[in-house]
Amino acid sequence: MIVDHDVIVLGAGLAGMRAALEAARNGVNVAVVSKVHPVRSHSGAAQGGINAALAPGDSWEIHAFDTIKGSDYLADQDAVEIMTREAPQDIIELEHMGVIFYRDEEGKLGTRAFGGASKARTYFVGDITGQALLYTLYDQLLKAGVKVYEECFATALYMAGGECRGVTAIDMLSGELNLIRAKAVIIASGGAGRLYEPSTNALICTGDGIALAYRAGAPLMDMEMVQYHPTTLKGSGFLMTEAARGEGAYLLNKDGERFMQRYAPKMMELASRDVVSRAETIEIAEGRGIDGNVLLDLRHLGRDVILTKLPQIHEIALDFLGIDMITDPVPVRPGMHYMMGGIRTDVHGATSIPGLYAAGECACVSVHGGNRLGANSLLDTLVFGRRSGRAAAEYVRRTSPTATGEDFLAAEQRRIADLMARPYAGETHARLRLELGTLMDAKVGVYRNEEGLMEALTGVHELKRRYGLVAVGDKGRIYNQALTFVLELGYLLDCAEAVIHGALTRKESRGAQARTDFPQRNDAEWLKHILITHNDGGPPRIDFQPVTITKWQPQERTY
Amino acid sequence: MKVAFWPGCVSKGACPELYVAMQKIAPVLGLELMELYEAPCTGAGVLSEQNPELAYSLNALTLAMAEQMGADLMTICSTCQGVLSGAQYHLTRDEALRERVNRTLADSGFQYRGTARVKHLLWLLVEDVGLDRVAGLVKRRLSGLRVAPFYGCYILRPEEHLGLREKPERATYLEKIIELVGATPVEYHGKSKCCGFPMLTFNREVSLKMAGKHLLEAKSKGADVLVTPCPLCHLNLDGQQPDAARVVKEPIGTPIFHLPQLLGLAFGFEPAELRLNHHVVNTRLALEKVELKV
Amino acid sequence: MKWTIEVGRYDRTAGDGRGEVRSYPPPYENAPQRRYQTFEVDLPDHAMVLDALIAIREYQDESLVVRCACRSAICGSCGMWINGAARLACITKLREVARDGKVTVEAPPSMPVVRDLVWDMTPFWQKNRAVLPWLENKEPVPQGEEYRVPNAAMENLIQEVSCISCGVCVMDCESFAVNPDFLGPAALAKAYRYVADPRDAKTHERLGRYSQPNGVWDCTHCYECVAKCPKGVAPMEQILKIRKLAVEAGYRNNSGTRHAVAFAESVAHSGRLNELTLMPKSFGLFNIRAQLQSLPAAFNMLRAGKLPPLLHPKVPHVERIKAIFKKVGGMFSS
Repeated sequence: MIVDHDVIVLGAGLAGMRAALEAARNGVNVAVVSKVHPVRSHSGAAQGGINAALAPGDSWEIHAFDTIKGSDYLADQDAVEIMTREAPQDIIELEHMGVIFYRDEEGKLGTRAFGGASKARTYFVGDITGQALLYTLYDQLLKAGVKVYEECFATALYMAGGECRGVTAIDMLSGELNLIRAKAVIIASGGAGRLYEPSTNALICTGDGIALAYRAGAPLMDMEMVQYHPTTLKGSGFLMTEAARGEGAYLLNKDGERFMQRYAPKMMELASRDVVSRAETIEIAEGRGIDGNVLLDLRHLGRDVILTKLPQIHEIALDFLGIDMITDPVPVRPGMHYMMGGIRTDVHGATSIPGLYAAGECACVSVHGGNRLGANSLLDTLVFGRRSGRAAAEYVRRTSPTATGEDFLAAEQRRIADLMARPYAGETHARLRLELGTLMDAKVGVYRNEEGLMEALTGVHELKRRYGLVAVGDKGRIYNQALTFVLELGYLLDCAEAVIHGALTRKESRGAQARTDFPQRNDAEWLKHILITHNDGGPPRIDFQPVTITKWQPQERTY
Repeated sequence: MKVAFWPGCVSKGACPELYVAMQKIAPVLGLELMELYEAPCTGAGVLSEQNPELAYSLNALTLAMAEQMGADLMTICSTCQGVLSGAQYHLTRDEALRERVNRTLADSGFQYRGTARVKHLLWLLVEDVGLDRVAGLVKRRLSGLRVAPFYGCYILRPEEHLGLREKPERATYLEKIIELVGATPVEYHGKSKCCGFPMLTFNREVSLKMAGKHLLEAKSKGADVLVTPCPLCHLNLDGQQPDAARVVKEPIGTPIFHLPQLLGLAFGFEPAELRLNHHVVNTRLALEKVELKV
Repeated sequence: MKWTIEVGRYDRTAGDGRGEVRSYPPPYENAPQRRYQTFEVDLPDHAMVLDALIAIREYQDESLVVRCACRSAICGSCGMWINGAARLACITKLREVARDGKVTVEAPPSMPVVRDLVWDMTPFWQKNRAVLPWLENKEPVPQGEEYRVPNAAMENLIQEVSCISCGVCVMDCESFAVNPDFLGPAALAKAYRYVADPRDAKTHERLGRYSQPNGVWDCTHCYECVAKCPKGVAPMEQILKIRKLAVEAGYRNNSGTRHAVAFAESVAHSGRLNELTLMPKSFGLFNIRAQLQSLPAAFNMLRAGKLPPLLHPKVPHVERIKAIFKKVGGMFSS
């Protein structure tokens, strides 16, 4: 089946739904394609809040500086300026859409403190901010009557004449592979957290859109910048929101010491995430951890604050560790959380491929640079989701529809059919995925070095070879998850390669990239973005792009 | 053992057989029933829905009456139990509510202090009288009778009101009693589900469908009879059964015993003494299985 | 630890499979039959049901189909029947539900099944859409700033906003089980979320809409959804809040309201419930059809000697009860 729209948004998290809404408002025929129902998207797991300089005494400049400092000066300052300038209007718009933000005593929007921020500028709904935003946007999507192709798994971008003209996707409920044609495609499919094991990310975060754009020829940028969140739950790796520390929680080592005083005496637990994660890693490595973890202590916050402002993490710690944070500290460790890098875009979400846009975690504008501040990711999704929605709508007015694609669809159907027919040769997607995740966590984690990265690269090449032998262990026609898991593993392997190449290339320590063999930041040589472009049959092409500096010259970064 | 006895409106109204049966078995169990003649209806969850304060006040009055008697309060109705337990749950935890309610009660001469427990006969049998003691009172084992328990929602949910978090076994007491009288409990999905009665006036078809489906399920599992601790369930399962059968388009004909009737039979009373001849669904076939006649 | 997981297998397109076939009890007797297949898994004592299903899917049978994403009760994907009751697999500990080390999982028989543990949520989303779940902004929309509303009004909505649309409440809803047109607990909890939003302009219209047949008055008040909801949304309580607001807003021409009014009148008058007048008053005295429909049952009860006394006696000292009504109001709180 072939269907047509003006704009297709791939992914239905916050960035995707915001993009779709904006495109619809601009009068174009837009459809959303998502492998899960929109409200299942991983944006819903964002707990803490969303940043904007809206309160008296705060300004977009201070927000921008905090973001740029947090990024270790790798963010493009023009993009950060746009994001921080437009943040207030986006928060107000969300409020008008119905988000039930926390209020102060006057009934105005109230804030909480967050890591790396010099002002309390995080707006929130308990510790379910992402969920509250996600549902509100879904409600708005219903109100606007936007078509959603739910549970449709994208297999390829349809490229014609150098332009992106649609996606092929498997409709899980019917098992059909369809071509959804469009004049423009916005990728908003989120990150690739499942590259790592463990990760705070949902099982669906497999870098689909990043890999599809990469395969179509769009350069990926700063892929080495992988954020480890300082507080992920022991064992399962679930996220314990930064809002816990924003509300005043302590990090303790096994001696009960607030060790952050030795690493970030001013900001303590609220230093930026890369700093806290490295501190924890050192504490644990030097034997001051407990069973590979440190402790997140909320007891002094009291029952009321925990139950009203942090109910979800209270529940998660109780469910998965049997620990009641009202009475006991919670063991946590740094865990893979977020990808600062992604498909390179301009400030309108445009990639280097005509007709292809990207927004949200899968994109790299870059507003997060080497390290994202907490509560800036939701903001990123909304600002650049909106901007890409508008830009795509404008683009399609200048573009005429295509009538081609039958051949492409037929070829893609054959590719999937061949994959389905591949005989079992001893390899399964589950085993390979676990090996990949474990390898990435061990060699491409908080600390990295040349030797480990080379091992990782060799490992990924070997995994790619074995991937060619993986069979689909389900012959069912509908809802064939084994098939989509195999395809996802392919996406993850492409992403892994890009991450490792980025990390190998960047011979310095900046933000989330901490090289033990190059422990210093080196602005003279490395104040630049690394671009990775797919190269059929060979290693990817590596290019560089200067960082845009507007008014904040790089300085030493202390917290 | 003395208990303040709250029979509920239905046992004094449309299910007089329940009241009669309870009066019969009480002396056997050694229960001295001090009936709360002056207590109001609990509101059955209907009043609390529109005016919770009204329901809390009425139920606080009932509880205070029991307190004044110096005894625990016994109910014979799952719905009364649920509403009274719910009222007590909130009155215990919400001091401001308690004060307001006591101001409302001031003129009546009663004050709610929270000293009396509220227990359904079913709980009292297991937790206070004791199953061993009850077993010793059985004169007529109802061997061969297959009995399906039907709890009624309000004696099971919400769990925190009804002490089921602390005592999850309360959800299995009916089966224990059924075994104890020598009968065989029938396991089926519908035993903890809704009989449909609360919807009878809003959506008769749906209400009767619920009743009919649960009855058919119990019957298909071989139940000769259902036993319920809730007279409201009885109204739908027995009183409306002929209509329920029409709605589900299948004959049913499964009688429903009140809990005290089941016990009464085991204690040796004749069916007529327990008014088992005053049901809408004829109890004859079930009674014949234990060689009894109505 | 060794666990035995019994999975109800089904494929809408194939219908084949291995294992024993079982059918469902009423009211689910028409649900498609599953074939039950048993797997053994080795998992720690604290493992969740979802961990077991993922382990099976990854290492024993790749054709086992189950929706899941977040694994921590946020995404709402993994609602299913576990030992015959609706639950989220990701936060249900094996040890809490296992009977002799065995746990049975299946798609809920109350819902259309797609494959194995994946059920078709289309009806669920249709009902969500039917309550018009979006803010209709109260005018004037503040220019360049937020609506000023008390934090308490926002906190009041967190309970409903916590809903993760897992469908657990709907799959075990008694009223829905026999009436698929019922809007159901999840959609009505969502409805309350917008009814109670002080920024919404359509509160009155919403209350009217939700008071229609298959709306709030079709809830049977059984607490099943309250007991089953994994996120504390307590849908039934939200439904009751809508009923109360609807009645206050004047939507009283329905048997639900008449029932409540008649109930309150009876208790206020005599201290007890008068079943004799409750039913006819609930239907509306001129609703001849409903009156006639209830006649056979009344006749049956009369014949059995079960009808309440025609003269409804007042309880002694009924003035105490009347005084309470006077102080806190009757049917409608003062």
